Amino acid sequence: MAETHPPFRKNTAHQAQRSGPWLSLVLVALSLLMIAPFVWMALTSFKTLSESSDPEWMPGAFRWGNYPEVFKIIPFLRFAANSLVIAGWVTVLQVFTSALAAFSFARLEWPGRDRVFFLYLATMMLPGLVTLIPTFQLMVRMDMVDTYLGLVLPAAFGAFGTFLLRQFMLGIPRALDEAAEIDGASKWQIFWDVILPLSRPGLVTLAIFTFMGNFQSFFWPLVMMKTVDKFPLPVGLMFFDTERGQATHLLMAAVTMSVVPLIIIFVLLQKQLIRGIQLGGVKG
Amino acid sequence: MSGLGKRGSPRRRLVSGIAFLLPNILGFAAFTLVPLVMSFGIAFTDWDTLRHNIFRHETLRFVGFENFSWLFHHPDFLHYLGNTFFLMLGLPFAIAGSLGAALLLTRVSHRPVARRGAFIFATLFLTGSGLLLRMGGMSQVGVWFIFGVLAAVSLVAGVLTGGSVYRTLFYLPNFTAGVATFVLWKKLYNPSGPINAALGPVLDGFASVVRSAPDLFSWGVPLACGVVAAALTLWQLWRLRQHWDDATAGPVSVVSGLLMLAVPVGLQLHWLGLSAVTAVGGPLGVVLIGAVLILKRPRRWGPVCARDAGLSAEIALALGLVPLLTLLAVGVTWGSRLPALAAVGLPAPNWLGDYDWAKPAIMIMGLWAAIGSNNMILYLAGLSNIPPELYEAADMDGASPLQRFWHITWPQLAPVTFFIGVMGVIYGLQGGFEMARVMTKGGPAGSTTTLSYFIYIEGFETGRLGYASAAAWVLFALVFILSLLNFRFGNRSAND
Repeated sequence: MAETHPPFRKNTAHQAQRSGPWLSLVLVALSLLMIAPFVWMALTSFKTLSESSDPEWMPGAFRWGNYPEVFKIIPFLRFAANSLVIAGWVTVLQVFTSALAAFSFARLEWPGRDRVFFLYLATMMLPGLVTLIPTFQLMVRMDMVDTYLGLVLPAAFGAFGTFLLRQFMLGIPRALDEAAEIDGASKWQIFWDVILPLSRPGLVTLAIFTFMGNFQSFFWPLVMMKTVDKFPLPVGLMFFDTERGQATHLLMAAVTMSVVPLIIIFVLLQKQLIRGIQLGGVKG
Repeated sequence: MSGLGKRGSPRRRLVSGIAFLLPNILGFAAFTLVPLVMSFGIAFTDWDTLRHNIFRHETLRFVGFENFSWLFHHPDFLHYLGNTFFLMLGLPFAIAGSLGAALLLTRVSHRPVARRGAFIFATLFLTGSGLLLRMGGMSQVGVWFIFGVLAAVSLVAGVLTGGSVYRTLFYLPNFTAGVATFVLWKKLYNPSGPINAALGPVLDGFASVVRSAPDLFSWGVPLACGVVAAALTLWQLWRLRQHWDDATAGPVSVVSGLLMLAVPVGLQLHWLGLSAVTAVGGPLGVVLIGAVLILKRPRRWGPVCARDAGLSAEIALALGLVPLLTLLAVGVTWGSRLPALAAVGLPAPNWLGDYDWAKPAIMIMGLWAAIGSNNMILYLAGLSNIPPELYEAADMDGASPLQRFWHITWPQLAPVTFFIGVMGVIYGLQGGFEMARVMTKGGPAGSTTTLSYFIYIEGFETGRLGYASAAAWVLFALVFILSLLNFRFGNRSAND
């Protein structure tokens, strides 16, 4: 799949013909517009409290001390670690169970398979809001409110991962698993030794999507977590904003610390992401 | 294809198939299917966490459709539903922005000429910024120096990477979108924040222009907006009739094309003081009459009508038309007040603190995050799939760039636009919660409370679970209808 649709075919007849300095200027101007909020964010994070309400963008002097200050007010690293752990576990569970299910839908033939897959696919359209209230009541009954498990489990099983990986696995040549079966491999061996290694790009894509989605997730942790120390980063940031919203400079230091890692991750992983978007044709 | 899997009895194959499915489907059943069924049940009860909780066991009462009828008699619910739809007017702008960005990105080439030009520009930027820095000192022009450096770096990187660095930069806001960037934008929208600081001089300049010719503006703006809006409406009606006659659009296309027109007209009527019911009902009646008038025209039934293939093009177009007409309606309604406002100087808006500006503020932020989103990536893929022969043929016929766009690019991208549009509406219906929670608490006066925030408030703060579940099912019904539409009329190649 990914190979048959290269992201951007360059220099095809209609594309290469019109370009020049003006185009570059427009692109640069747009790029600057896109990153201007981040520039303001970074600069404000170095200001003093009184400077932070100035219209002037530059700080008088770069106060690196704002960053340690954040750690004194909120357990920022704890928040970040919570987010990492929660998103990490969701990702592991999601990728593994989705790979199994996708294998079943893409490579095994059993009666009623396509009908089940269709039903599965249909649930992707289900608004998450519909299930939130009863899921929370289930969590109350199971005593999982304010636990990591209660955050991980509801997010760990979804149809989207199955759909994405099935699309990917359909592109792997049939001959490979047939050959393995002739050699006497069991279904599990075919899955584990043949299909899974070949699906690596798809797995990586799904892992990134799942991880990022859960790293940023806000609604469910907001209603589930009561103890400040267990807050994931987004909830922690909102908590900081409600508690000390007037301290713009410190707030921006915290925001910078949450956004910059994302920017780095994105720059490093954008190829996989773009492939995933084209494969799934979805919002991530 | 008597491959794998075909071996063994059906029963054995079923067992192994299900075995692989099991871990996922168990979790799925526990955390999606069971809650789904529960949610449906709850929607018909009076479950209120104040009276029914683990400490107090009053029996739940089955109330039938009471929750639903409450919803629709609740003026706030209709207000919030309206907010949800109003915020989605930003969607077409976002889609247009994504398309524009994609078009720009596909045009980037890396010919040596451009490379040399970029280096010259970069050097100029850098020296210019450096000179400014020396003249004004760090605190005054320092930020321009930073932007100069960023511009130069992105330009050089853009040339070296064949333009993909721009794609990265465009995509960045979308990728980082979350609570952190909402907190950031909340500060950007501060009445004395950077946005208003930048806007101030622009507004002052505009106010002085208006003051110089107040009469012209007081009748000119509404008139111009009205004329353009009327022209666009007539053009759309003419187009629909034409497409119906040519059998390139089916009944669903025609009706939805007309419905789209009713949205801005209804808003306009409402703004002019009509009650919501009249403002919606009136245009709907006109739509019905118009639809009958068009649909009873004789036509050649082509094979294309069977699946109403015109629909995706129709919706793609309407996406642009609706917000444009809405903006024009704003001009017609309030344009005449401009001189009076400008006389005292146009104040910069108090964005998130102002009932009327909070929604546009959220839409503008959404635009920032949505232009370089997955939609742009899908458009880029769509653009690269257009056969170059089409453009070559158009060039031989001497087509202008605008004609090339309107007759080749736009129709070829219609399936992508349709997919993006429908998905955008589906997500838009469920959206708005994070912005509302982080930036405005749903205010001021409920102007940014969307359906999802309402469900959160009722379900998790007030604790009226029955009521909240009913609202969630209204949302579900809306999403379901749209999904069906997407499934029925969407081009499979766009979402497969």
